[in-house]
Amino acid sequence: MSDYLPFLISGLGLGAVYALSGVGLVVLYRSSGVLNFAFGALGAIGAYVAWSVLDAELPQALAWAVALATSMGLSLAYGRLLAPRLAHRDPTIRSIATLGFALILMGFTEWFWGEQPRRLVLPTDADGLELGEVRLTYTRVLGLALALGMMAGIGLLLSKTRTGLKMRALANDRDLSALLGLRVLQVDTVAWVLSGAFAGVCGLLLANIVRLQATLLTFLVIPAFAAAMLGRLNSLPITVAAGIGIGVLEALAITLPGFAPFRTSVPFLVALAALPFFRNDARKA
Amino acid sequence: MSIKNLVPNTSNPLHVLAGFALLGLASATHADPTCGLSNGRPATGEPLAIGAVVGKTGPDDFSSAASAAAAYFKCVNQNGGINGRPVDYIVADDQWNPETATQVASKLVKDRRVLAMTGSTSFVECGANAKMYAQEDVMVIAGVGVPRECFNAKNYAPINSGPRVSATIAAMYAVQKYQAKKMVCIIPNIPSLGNWACEGPKEWGAKHGVVSETIAIDPGSADATSVMLQASAMKPDVIIMNVPKGILVPMLAAAEQQNLGKKIHFVSSAPAYNIDVPKAIGPYWKGRFDTNLEFQPLDSQGLDNKNWLALMDKYAAKSDPRDSFAQSGYLAARLVTEALLKMDPKKIDRAGVSKALRAVKGFKSDILCKPFYVGDGLRHNANNSGPMASSNGSNWTVASGGCLTAEDPELADIRADEVKMGVR
Amino acid sequence: MNARAHSFLPPNCMNDASLLPPAKAQARLQLQRDLRAAAQRARHSWLLMLAGLGLIAIAVPLLANAFWMKSLISSLALSVAVAGLALLYGQLGLVSLCQHALLGAGGWVALRLSHGFGLPFELCLLAAGLCSCGIGMVAGLPALRLKGLYLALVTLMMAGAFQVLVSATGFPDGGDGWLGRVVGSERLMMARPALALSDEAYFRYVAFCLAAVLSLIEWHRRSRAGRSWALIRRGEAAATAAGVNILFYQTWAFGLAGFCAGVSGALLAGGVGQLDGRAFGAAESVMMLALTVVGGVYHWLGPIISGLLMRAVPSLLSDFNVNGFLADIFFGAALLHALITAPQGIAGQLMGALKALRQRLQALHETREARQA
Repeated sequence: MSDYLPFLISGLGLGAVYALSGVGLVVLYRSSGVLNFAFGALGAIGAYVAWSVLDAELPQALAWAVALATSMGLSLAYGRLLAPRLAHRDPTIRSIATLGFALILMGFTEWFWGEQPRRLVLPTDADGLELGEVRLTYTRVLGLALALGMMAGIGLLLSKTRTGLKMRALANDRDLSALLGLRVLQVDTVAWVLSGAFAGVCGLLLANIVRLQATLLTFLVIPAFAAAMLGRLNSLPITVAAGIGIGVLEALAITLPGFAPFRTSVPFLVALAALPFFRNDARKA
Repeated sequence: MSIKNLVPNTSNPLHVLAGFALLGLASATHADPTCGLSNGRPATGEPLAIGAVVGKTGPDDFSSAASAAAAYFKCVNQNGGINGRPVDYIVADDQWNPETATQVASKLVKDRRVLAMTGSTSFVECGANAKMYAQEDVMVIAGVGVPRECFNAKNYAPINSGPRVSATIAAMYAVQKYQAKKMVCIIPNIPSLGNWACEGPKEWGAKHGVVSETIAIDPGSADATSVMLQASAMKPDVIIMNVPKGILVPMLAAAEQQNLGKKIHFVSSAPAYNIDVPKAIGPYWKGRFDTNLEFQPLDSQGLDNKNWLALMDKYAAKSDPRDSFAQSGYLAARLVTEALLKMDPKKIDRAGVSKALRAVKGFKSDILCKPFYVGDGLRHNANNSGPMASSNGSNWTVASGGCLTAEDPELADIRADEVKMGVR
Repeated sequence: MNARAHSFLPPNCMNDASLLPPAKAQARLQLQRDLRAAAQRARHSWLLMLAGLGLIAIAVPLLANAFWMKSLISSLALSVAVAGLALLYGQLGLVSLCQHALLGAGGWVALRLSHGFGLPFELCLLAAGLCSCGIGMVAGLPALRLKGLYLALVTLMMAGAFQVLVSATGFPDGGDGWLGRVVGSERLMMARPALALSDEAYFRYVAFCLAAVLSLIEWHRRSRAGRSWALIRRGEAAATAAGVNILFYQTWAFGLAGFCAGVSGALLAGGVGQLDGRAFGAAESVMMLALTVVGGVYHWLGPIISGLLMRAVPSLLSDFNVNGFLADIFFGAALLHALITAPQGIAGQLMGALKALRQRLQALHETREARQA
């Protein structure tokens, strides 16, 4: 057991990453009906902006603020300018369109900042919880806490508040909601800004926990889809649990003899293995 | 990367003395770089086409070797050219995609009919194009080669020593300095790299009673901490990092967070030797992290090194990095230029150029530890020695042992070729 | 006139108009005439496709240089896979985000058989196609329960798993053992077909294969399978009511798409000579679907355009020395633009433009005739 404990603990850090990204994806899906492929790219550009601010010796708080503002602003720009033009197409096409947006962001980030070994250092890196031989830095603890906090907060927002109700209505049937007098643009704005904020926070934490590299951060969204899928694109608690579970399993997979080079496939294998347990939803998602 | 970062930072008295001794000459050469014929006359004859394939846009930017070679050829064209003929240097980006690498190599070799390739630096093009180069008899004096195919091809001769040789030297140094008995070598699991480059330390270690295990990682993995934990669970004395610098920094960050640097020494092969790395990894690694260099340090006071810097200042863009890749590009361009200068300018064709390049022997530079050669062996790995350096928190300090030569058992055929050529 | 009403009539009424009341008989004849016209249009389109590809096969090798020859070989090879994907999405409305992974699997089989057993290229091609066909059918099983975005995600997971597998094991390049990786010596290139050793000849070979695959798909569309697919697309209830075996026909569609992917992988391997394990990420499959939709899924021109977008346009940009990342920005913007403005894809836009042109010319012709009369 003591052989596995270090990997279990370090898997929690990775799991927090997957859980956070999964929650961000599900939130946007539930509020706009779009699976956002650009989630990672929005976070990445925010993280690079934060790095530039920190590199210019400006305060931490400003770096965070600018990073979040960037992600939220770009997300809002997409949501208000481009997403409405596709609103009448089917969900798959709308999701594929976000891939175009992701390419633009990723290309710009790589071109503007170039390739150079960078590290996004956060003040929470300095200390951590000592659990046996492993150290869980406060950044990862923060990641876990944020995942749970966001899950609770967004859950409450969507189920208990009026805005949440409007967001769900809009995602369900856009034309009908508009006919009923829902202020489509207003609700859209809230949904995309919220998702952008999520992307920004996820991007900062991911850039710290994983590495500050635009292409990798952009395509980390794909394992995060596994967590979102296990939550049926609907339930936030299950998404968080799935994300953490996948992270822990991926870390533990190192201990399996011969499987270690393939351990990055764990999110995908878990998602595929869970398929038979899906009820016959035939949900036209 | 500007010169102000390259303030001489050596504590070795010999280096300091050499620096003083060369000060007079140094200041003279720093002002005016020499290249080719150095006669100040622009070349106006029929151009000679030379190509290069680099991996520019992708996981990393490997184009600095070609930029340095371009600067060298620009200097040559303004200084008499190749006996009056200018060099038309064409660089193509393979975008780290082997399919694209075959396409652009076809463009250069078959459409543009280049005489040779020089300064190529690509992760993917060696495997993709080696056969085509052999079939078309084009010699490639590459800047930097990485996977095994670059060091196992008839027509491909990289100026650098390669990750296997570099890791072997790092292992040898670690055993010598830290009396290590057990080592762990971490490498990406890319097939022609992961099962090759860490075998050098392993095979060398087997002959000297040192055990070296290999951990192959997925470069796209998001979890550096688990890898570090896996490595430390094997209870090594030394961990050899054999990964690109983009992955190295987060791995060392993870190791720092787990405070592994206290009980385990970390060494690395050449990719770590870069101006940005000591600052990126931070003060924790002061004195705890050593790296191998494939060439002499960037701030070496050798004549040729200073010539390289002066040449970059005069002919290269300000944004072109002055890193070890640039050193290799400069050397590759210089080698090809000097070989071409020996040929009859009216009769320069591809077959003749390939023959002239294969005949290169005793190419000396103070950037290199030993003279370089090409030869007509079945594979090329002429650069197989290098010095070590240690991180001092903000920069690199060169270690006192000077150049170490790799005793990698796989180099046996190279050594045999060297004996046959008479360079050993 | 309600066409549906006639499907409840017993079959022999369709051939014997005298058994029907006069108004309905007239309508029945009109329907038959319309159906014949549609079949004729489809046949013309197919002949046009053959002619078009034939022209490309003859003309392009004479005009293109070595760089463009290689690029266009890859483009046409990928068009084969895109054709399968277009079939799935256009005919059945099913989204598969693992087509590029199936392409990789087919390429793997072709390489292993070619290097390991020295089999002729055509056999490797067929084996690759059949292997990917099988895997495709398995990949299609979730489609029976899940639709739309869920199916897309499931196939994306499969692509992700394949990405990890192939980047760790790589593709065969002449060695022994299961994985066929060579150690120590030079890599082998895949042996091309005996008829098509040079780049020019191989281009013609690939164009021929593309024409064959497109014809195969067209033949399917006009057969019972095509009609079943159309019914499945309309709704599972309608299909079941009409007696269509959904499991069988849906799986068959996935199998056919997989076959296209496998053949494409073998053609790509033959064109480049080898395949690299790092070029088969999940993102490639997503990009393939995106460009399939942009090219157009309802016309045979769509896969050809998609193939060009996947390989020829990036080659063009790199030929003009456009920085690869700026090219990414351009691609992303073009993708967004195409998705927003062209629901039928670029092929649809071209066909629409041609149709509008034809109508205008016809109108012009008619006014001229009317003026003369």
